[in-house]
Amino acid sequence: MYVSPVREPLIKGGKNYSKVTEDITRPILTKPGKLWFFGITISSIAAVIGLIAMFITVRDGIGRWGVNRTIGWGWGITNLVWWIGIGHAGTFISAILLLFRQKWRTSINRSAEAMTIFAVMCAGVFPLLHMGRLPLAYFIFPYPNTRGLWVNFNSPLLWDVFAISTYFLVSLLFWYTGLIPDIATMRDKIKNKFIKPIYSFLSFGWKGSARHWSRHESMSLILAGLAAPLVLSVHSIVSMDFATSVIPGWHTTIFPPYFVSGAIFSGFAMVLTLMIVARKAMNIEQYITVGHIESMNKIIIATGSIVGIAYITELFMAWYSGNIYERFAFYNRAFGPYWWAYWIMMTCNVITPQLFWFRKLRRNVVFTFVVSIFINIGMWFERFVIIVTSLHRDFLPSSWSMYKPTLIEVAIFTGTLGIFFTLFFLFIRIFPVVAMAEVKGILKTSGEKTKH
Amino acid sequence: MEEKFIFSGKYKFVSLLLILTGLIAVVAGFFVYHDHGSRFWANFLMNTTYFNAIALCGVVFIAVHMLGNSGWQVSIQRVPEAMSMFLPVSGFLMLVILAGLWFNFHHLYHWAHPDPHDTILELKKGYLNIPFFSIRTIIYIAGWIIFARILRKISVLQDNNNDLKYFKKSTVYAALFIVFFAITSSTSAWDWLMSIDAHWYSTMYGWYIFSGLFVSGTAVIILLVLFLKGAGYMKHVNKEHLHDLGKYLFGFSIFWTYLWFSQYLLIWYGNIPEETAYYVPRLDEYRNLFFINLGVNFIFPFLALMTRNSKRQPWILAMVSVVAFIGHWIDYYLIVMPGTMGAEAGIGFFEIGMTLGYIGMFLFVVFWGLTKASLVPENHPYYKESMEYHTQY
Amino acid sequence: MNTPYISAWFDDDEKLLSGLKVFKEKGIKIADVLTPFPVHGIDKVLGYRRSWIARVGFIGGVLGAASALVFQAWVFTKSYPLNIGGKPFFALPSFIPVTFELTVLFAAFAMVFAFLIRSKLGPGAKTEIYDERITDDRFVVLVDINENHSEENIKKISAQMAEAGAMDIKIKLTENK
Repeated sequence: MYVSPVREPLIKGGKNYSKVTEDITRPILTKPGKLWFFGITISSIAAVIGLIAMFITVRDGIGRWGVNRTIGWGWGITNLVWWIGIGHAGTFISAILLLFRQKWRTSINRSAEAMTIFAVMCAGVFPLLHMGRLPLAYFIFPYPNTRGLWVNFNSPLLWDVFAISTYFLVSLLFWYTGLIPDIATMRDKIKNKFIKPIYSFLSFGWKGSARHWSRHESMSLILAGLAAPLVLSVHSIVSMDFATSVIPGWHTTIFPPYFVSGAIFSGFAMVLTLMIVARKAMNIEQYITVGHIESMNKIIIATGSIVGIAYITELFMAWYSGNIYERFAFYNRAFGPYWWAYWIMMTCNVITPQLFWFRKLRRNVVFTFVVSIFINIGMWFERFVIIVTSLHRDFLPSSWSMYKPTLIEVAIFTGTLGIFFTLFFLFIRIFPVVAMAEVKGILKTSGEKTKH
Repeated sequence: MEEKFIFSGKYKFVSLLLILTGLIAVVAGFFVYHDHGSRFWANFLMNTTYFNAIALCGVVFIAVHMLGNSGWQVSIQRVPEAMSMFLPVSGFLMLVILAGLWFNFHHLYHWAHPDPHDTILELKKGYLNIPFFSIRTIIYIAGWIIFARILRKISVLQDNNNDLKYFKKSTVYAALFIVFFAITSSTSAWDWLMSIDAHWYSTMYGWYIFSGLFVSGTAVIILLVLFLKGAGYMKHVNKEHLHDLGKYLFGFSIFWTYLWFSQYLLIWYGNIPEETAYYVPRLDEYRNLFFINLGVNFIFPFLALMTRNSKRQPWILAMVSVVAFIGHWIDYYLIVMPGTMGAEAGIGFFEIGMTLGYIGMFLFVVFWGLTKASLVPENHPYYKESMEYHTQY
Repeated sequence: MNTPYISAWFDDDEKLLSGLKVFKEKGIKIADVLTPFPVHGIDKVLGYRRSWIARVGFIGGVLGAASALVFQAWVFTKSYPLNIGGKPFFALPSFIPVTFELTVLFAAFAMVFAFLIRSKLGPGAKTEIYDERITDDRFVVLVDINENHSEENIKKISAQMAEAGAMDIKIKLTENK
């Protein structure tokens, strides 16, 4: 297939197929550097802190959290939405960019999908914990029981159970089936006789047969076609936890696509945070090039702008509705007791991504890294603002209250960050971080050596 | 390899005939309906906004692909460019509606002469008043036309000069347009369509209208491309290009459905009378059309275009595109009529005649536009990519 | 029983494709082609038909949709109807999200299982490693000589393969199954 010479090469350094294998398998076959040990130590400590806090929560109950009347959802649910949102970028890169034939996805899709799986795992911690009586968690699944009871299919919280479970499982399937050929590469490269059988087992007997490849491509394409609507549906269903209510600031029809855009926005920010560090530390800058970072930044500016437009739409409609409660809800967000959270959100989410209109900034790695952190902070605050400001002051002023997180809630969130990064650190040591087979597939047309 | 479209006498005849049909319908309506022109104005608004959306989609299509650094669409680029040339016509017709607003010819927008006891409209007065509405309308129309012309001009300049500077400039203008469009597509939807039911509001509305714009616009692009191929032009357009257009039709039909359903579900679930009041007449007097709308715009494209092969067969693409075009016309009918005509709405020779008239106008302008430049933009840096183009899956 | 076959490799996908075309012209029977990544155009050259696993996926999806709708409807209309916020018992809009998710879930699992089963892949599946560099940078072709594995036929085929650009042409025996 012809690729115009105007396009930037996606793989630099004049690589050939065996160099690709060598470069990508090197971090797995060699001992990790000090940076890796340092990183995983910190993240493990955070994870342990979190696990202790989770244990305390299960043992003592939700009273250990700061949630109370009328703010029944605080940090817990903010974190749930934040983590799930982050996961969506992985699926977007794997599935939607595949459907749009964006070749640049091949360097980042493997890590992005892994990120999705870890993010969804971290997200799942919160609905489980916030139930209180964890041993009865199985109640959320419809199973025949002596009480004749079923789950409430009318509740968006139940739709969440199905949506998030499906999302986790399908992402896992997509990630793993894509990984199989690369695991086979590992199997064939590894000499250590204790480790080789493990990879052999995990490789599912892959031998690179053309017939298998043919079916594999067919399957990947359809999985992409299935996963793509999941990107839209899962976060839409999460948004319906709020939008199906009747309180101002929550009950608004734009939530589903607005949440989805926000999810992709924050997810890409997290991908950038991870990839900018990983590419340097693992010496794969020639695979994850400045061009890749620029493309990701373009998606950030697109989704960030959509989020910004959604904010403005909500503000306008609140006024346009003439509904005093609606108008107050938004006035309160900007000028009430949580004004500081609102303005952090606005600065981080609306202003910072707009800087990526400038090409120089789009291609600046350090700047991108800083912005990616701001975006994730901003998106956390967006969920916090939506959840807490609408709950703490709704229709009856006599019911107005305030919310403050407890140390336990903060510790749990820190813990999920620890779990996430620990899993990611382990991932980069065990599996190839870049999809080797896919990169090899585009090497001829998009690699630096080819000059037409 | 220049390829010029010839706007032959046959095509001129057909489009003029369609325009004539429209005029006959309008004149006949004048004599048959004694409703101070309500039925005429309602159809006028509906068709103007619908065809304006289709024309606008031409510009959006080009701009979005420029920003995405995409190469395949270069082969068909002239078609959306020609569609965008209808914007001055639909813009002018919108100005006619505006004039009608000032001179009280129609009562499409109840907020224009609100009942003094209507507290809700009172609260919206700052936005829904005739002068501000007019300024906004003029800004939309002028802005869209200006951008359409700039993008078209750059495209033609690129064709005649091998300089890459036009290619680089185009992304800047595409970006500016997209920002302008992102805002104005929503605000124009609020102004022209949502304010018909002025007591109601929905934050989703602007995006919902946008999704319909993209589907109907893509359907028309497909039909025009297939027509040109059928007439012996654009031989370089192959199954790969059609496949991609089919993917858009499929995907965005699902996207439209998703937005439609989200809006409906949330309003149904909350069950708040101020919001459900929008759907009550649509489920009451327009019940059949309401479900036909869903069937035609979701179920049919979904099932018909699911397989890989279907998107590569010209006749299937053509059929689904025609259905989508009619389907989104029905959507616009459901958007405009309940608030303007209420229970008196109907679909008869008048509606069909007027729409045929608009189709005639649209075709005339598009055919004329296609003659203005080579059908093949050969100096575009992605031209070769677009010609030697092979989708692997 | 150990059957002999000829193996050879190419170091480049374009050379592989042109080589395969020559093989086909000469009537050489190709048992399998093993590559480090999917080579586009190979399906056509080898005459592979499109896989039907997509249909399995579709059926899975339909099954998912049907079971989800039927189950929810049964729960809320027959088994234990509950008045939730004044909604009708058969609350179709409410049932859509779960129905959609189960459609995707069933379709995805059906597809993946169809793929694994059809290709005889799975955890711990035994495989013959024809060349450790297949998963690295080699494009291996296995030629079937079961019909006629006489010396002279092997020589003839090997010569034709070498002419088409194949490297390292070897006679091998399949491992005992």
